[in-house]
Amino acid sequence: MTGGALGITLTAGLLVGCGPGDGGPEDVRFTFSKREAIPYMTQVVDDYNASQDAVRVELDTSGVDVVSASFVRGNPPDLMLANYNHEVARFVDRCTLTDLGDTRAASRIRPDLQPLMDQYGRCEGRTSALPYSVMAASVIYNKEIFAEHHLEVPQTWSELIEVADTLEQAGETPFYGTFKDDWTVAQGWFDYAVGGQVDTLDFFDRLAAEGADVGPRSAVSFEKDLAGPLEQMTQLAGYVNDDAASRGYGDGNLAFAQGGAAMYLQGPWAFSEIAKTAPDLELGTFPLPMTEDPADLKVRVNVDLAAIVPEGSHHQDAARDFLEYLYRPEVIEGYNESQLGYTPTADAPPPSDPRLAGMTDYYDDGKVYQGASVLVPKTIPVMPYTQGIAFGEDVDDVMRTLDEDWARLARRQ
Amino acid sequence: MSTLTTATPGVAAPDAARRAPRGARRTEPIYYLFLLPSLVLFTLAIPVPALVGIFFSFTNSVGIGDWNFIGLTNYAVAFRDPAIWQSYLFTFGFALVTVLVVNVAAFLLAVGLTSRIRLKVGLRAVYVIPMVVSGIIIAYVFSYLFSNSLPAAGEALGIPFLSTSLLANPDLAWVAIVLVTAWQAVPGTLLIYIAGLLAIPGDVYEAAEIDGATPAQRLTRITLPLVAGYVVINVILGFKNFLNAYDIIVGLTNGGPGTATRSIAMTIITGFNGGDYAYQMANATIFFVVTVLIAFLQLSVTRGRNAL
Repeated sequence: MTGGALGITLTAGLLVGCGPGDGGPEDVRFTFSKREAIPYMTQVVDDYNASQDAVRVELDTSGVDVVSASFVRGNPPDLMLANYNHEVARFVDRCTLTDLGDTRAASRIRPDLQPLMDQYGRCEGRTSALPYSVMAASVIYNKEIFAEHHLEVPQTWSELIEVADTLEQAGETPFYGTFKDDWTVAQGWFDYAVGGQVDTLDFFDRLAAEGADVGPRSAVSFEKDLAGPLEQMTQLAGYVNDDAASRGYGDGNLAFAQGGAAMYLQGPWAFSEIAKTAPDLELGTFPLPMTEDPADLKVRVNVDLAAIVPEGSHHQDAARDFLEYLYRPEVIEGYNESQLGYTPTADAPPPSDPRLAGMTDYYDDGKVYQGASVLVPKTIPVMPYTQGIAFGEDVDDVMRTLDEDWARLARRQ
Repeated sequence: MSTLTTATPGVAAPDAARRAPRGARRTEPIYYLFLLPSLVLFTLAIPVPALVGIFFSFTNSVGIGDWNFIGLTNYAVAFRDPAIWQSYLFTFGFALVTVLVVNVAAFLLAVGLTSRIRLKVGLRAVYVIPMVVSGIIIAYVFSYLFSNSLPAAGEALGIPFLSTSLLANPDLAWVAIVLVTAWQAVPGTLLIYIAGLLAIPGDVYEAAEIDGATPAQRLTRITLPLVAGYVVINVILGFKNFLNAYDIIVGLTNGGPGTATRSIAMTIITGFNGGDYAYQMANATIFFVVTVLIAFLQLSVTRGRNAL
């Protein structure tokens, strides 16, 4: 804290030296655009501003496109909490973000999360971004329907098929599919199926190493490594509601809330939507078993929010002071508790919501993976491709197309 | 009949007469001043960004940070990219079919709405309504109809073909897009046809009737030739619009199922969202050249027919 405080006094002194000389607080522009959490973050900012008078934080809720444009114009925000994806990773890759490795916040982050951050992009020698909120996603299941048919949470692929068969024979719909929205196929069906048995970290590393050579003769390819899991995914897609092809995300939440199916391949963000219709529905979560070994079970995670401080900011120390405030245990844990996220600091308790309990052990043991669909560069239309598979396109054909797209992109970049 | 055809381009004739004495007088400089604001705005909003975009199509820029010139690499790759080929194939096929559907439907409606029927004015207003609704809203409403109402109706009536959504069928989703696009595009086309039909002098029809022409003959021998110029206008404007297809597809299928209905414009947009800026700029440049070629083709085909 002394370091931060010293920084503040120094910058404040500089401001007095060259500014108009009113000695007022230093303004920090903080961008945050996760809609559901804006009320919480507004409160955090107000509390911080009231707690001291050296720095005044201004909350900017304009979305990521505006932020990208501000980087191009050389006028980026001073501090960002942003969804960590390929878009933000572009700033990391091009080393336009400052090193946060020396902050107290950085020292408290769980080290096993670093590979997940590096997977998107890296600037050698720098900790360009710090995770703030990690979302874990897996199969959501209706506990009431499971109890009614005396079903246990499946731990292996054959148990899963057994559960699905039992449900189907009992006249229940095992899975609710919302294939009309391609992203639901990609983040649920595709990612869970692949992540349940392929090590996505290793797979994409080897894929990147092959680069333009990815194809029928390369050692690693989408066709070779993913076709198997996706055949299993197609098998599971046979257990969905008849009208899955014309149902979207909103339809799915409604139907699932009304007991329209026993299992739903969605993330925790769907809970609040389901609760709008059925606030008391008992729901649970479990990782999709894809193999016969319960030790292979893993949950899909994504770094829902990461903190970054752009090099272009003129308020480095003030931004870092607020950053440390954001990582205070009561602030960061309070945030994640309210948003059903996992706090990435080493000592933090898991969110207490019982609906997430089925994933907590896996998260604590580091049995996590990032979704394959978000690790493919966005310029390759992987979401429509996975939707094509759900609609019955040949898995091998689609995987070959992915291989070709990957190689073509590598050749060009 | 022959005297008629020479006299008919009634629109063009007075125009030519007005043009004649213009060269004799010196143009008032004030007219150039009138042109200036729109010229400046146009230049800033269209040619300048377009040139910047063409410039970047020869680089490997992702939109931010450093970039290098990579010559024609983007173009070379784009020409071998099946995703781009597919989007061109889809978009041109879609535009051709839609132009046909829209013009046939609008022409028949226009004939109906200019004949002696009841409620003519009210009906005209009704048919023009789709024109004032934004494309994305139309698309969402129709998306609901295709995904929910039609299947429900199909189930109730026992028609299995209808009970699955048209939008979920990779081979037929384009039909839904054509229908919805046509539903929105017919009014504009219809208005132009109505104007064209009303410009045909009534005595021509009277003469034809006296000569014993049947209604069918009047339609094919008089109406059609006399609105030929309007057909050309509608086809050119329509084709140009349909090549830019975007909002209705986004609302209906978002390019799906799979990538079956991705238009050229949608492919280009992915370059901005996906960090593939320079590459899709090359695609946009190719698209620009293609449309310019089409424009020249259309002009050369229609030139000299008093059509435009």
